[in-house]
Amino acid sequence: MTPPEAVLRQARAPVDESPDPHLRIDPSLCDGVGICSHLAPDLITVDSWGYPILTPARLTRAGDRRQATAAVAACPKKALYLGH
Amino acid sequence: MNDVLAAHPVGRLGGTSWMFFSAPAVLPRHGTESLTGILRQDLLAHRQAYGPRPSCAGIGGERLLADLEAVALTGRGGGHFPTAAKWRSLMQAGAGGTVVANGAEGEPGSAKDAVLLQTRPHLVLDALVCAMETVGATEGVLWIHEGAWATARSVTLALSERAAAGLEEPPVRVILAPDRYLSGEGTGIIRTLEGGPTLPRFVTNPARPWSDGHRPVLVNNVETMARIGLVALRGGEAYQQTSLVTVISATHRVVAEVGPDVSVEQAVVAFWTSPDGKYPQAVLVGGYGGSWAAWDGVRSVSIDVAAMRAAGLSLGAGLIGPLPATACGLEESARLVRYLAGQSAKQCGPCVFGLASVSELADDLSAGRLSAAGRRRLTKFMAEISGRGACRHPDGALRMLTSALEVFAPDVAHHRRGRTCDAPAFDVMPLPEVAA
Repeated sequence: MTPPEAVLRQARAPVDESPDPHLRIDPSLCDGVGICSHLAPDLITVDSWGYPILTPARLTRAGDRRQATAAVAACPKKALYLGH
Repeated sequence: MNDVLAAHPVGRLGGTSWMFFSAPAVLPRHGTESLTGILRQDLLAHRQAYGPRPSCAGIGGERLLADLEAVALTGRGGGHFPTAAKWRSLMQAGAGGTVVANGAEGEPGSAKDAVLLQTRPHLVLDALVCAMETVGATEGVLWIHEGAWATARSVTLALSERAAAGLEEPPVRVILAPDRYLSGEGTGIIRTLEGGPTLPRFVTNPARPWSDGHRPVLVNNVETMARIGLVALRGGEAYQQTSLVTVISATHRVVAEVGPDVSVEQAVVAFWTSPDGKYPQAVLVGGYGGSWAAWDGVRSVSIDVAAMRAAGLSLGAGLIGPLPATACGLEESARLVRYLAGQSAKQCGPCVFGLASVSELADDLSAGRLSAAGRRRLTKFMAEISGRGACRHPDGALRMLTSALEVFAPDVAHHRRGRTCDAPAFDVMPLPEVAA
């Protein structure tokens, strides 16, 4: 690999090296039970039918990660997870 | 203007040389069997036209990948994802995978993939074998709707022609998928191959849509495959940037190939039968999950992936659905949303409940009984559902409805005053007679 290509590849590489995860959901597993929105009120609201709407932001604060972890652990459908 | 529409013959369009069809195919409003008869290219005619299929193992595959990158081929099922990039991510998963040629054209209006499989089956099959060799796959699948019997007949005949000719090729299976809108959704195909139901699946990594411990799967639409076949057989330099479109009229549909210099107006004049001799008021572009565009804004746009994108539209699956001046865009859109809501895989709350609620409100709007509070609810519901399905099905329905509320804004105001329009033309876009 010639140097210019290497530089280009590095420039194209994802800059996102942040270890902070996102709160994510598999919507096909979710039954809208709703426990999650009580355990993570800062991260999850519910829509007009009781299904969770998740914050799109990374979980940078320790408090947010605590809420997210509790919601993930409590989900009876195992629909929630922490991902990137 | 009336004379133009009445007098123009159906014929070729565009200055490019033809990759697939020298003449358009005319199909009935429903079903996929041509009304005009279709000239099917059998294996002998195919080989006479294109010569032998080059090997795509090793260096041949590298050359094909480079050519696909050079012609910037993107997926013609509607997503327009770069084909070569999709192949490379499968190659990273290693050999022993499955390649699927996806001919389950979910759009009820679209018939380009069916026409392609009925006229040029060996172009698709050559490409399927080339794809398998390039990515090191050991299994090939041709995925079509169970009700598409004319297509099934053509491809099974093509496979027996190849077997009779003694071609040494890896096995290709024909799999019949349920006749539903979402049967052509890629993750649902992979789920089926893994022994699951034919329903879309949530994937955490779109570059690896198969499950851990299962074979890697590459899914390409059949028009994409046919274009891969042309590139493999004739090289990238001979490739023409054409598009296959299905143009919808009240009594029939026309599948045609157009060059990138052909405008929407030229295609409509040539391939659409106006019920009143006038130009349409708007055009549904891409598919039922595509976008409405007002006639004055879209008439001069070229039928080309890049030109459509620049105009804020997507060529999608190549559907061109003109709406006659005598039809109501809101009535038509409400009808299409109702169909799409009914075709939900019923897996995700935002689709099952949200899209159904949106459909009811769209029906209310169309019927002139949507209150101010109902209008606010519609806006709120549409914002809540956006981007929240496991697949893009609800997003497509929302995109179409959002464009309808913009393009038909004067009709929205009219309907909100409690008036219906009594449009003489209705049920413009074909829907399956019995919704599954």
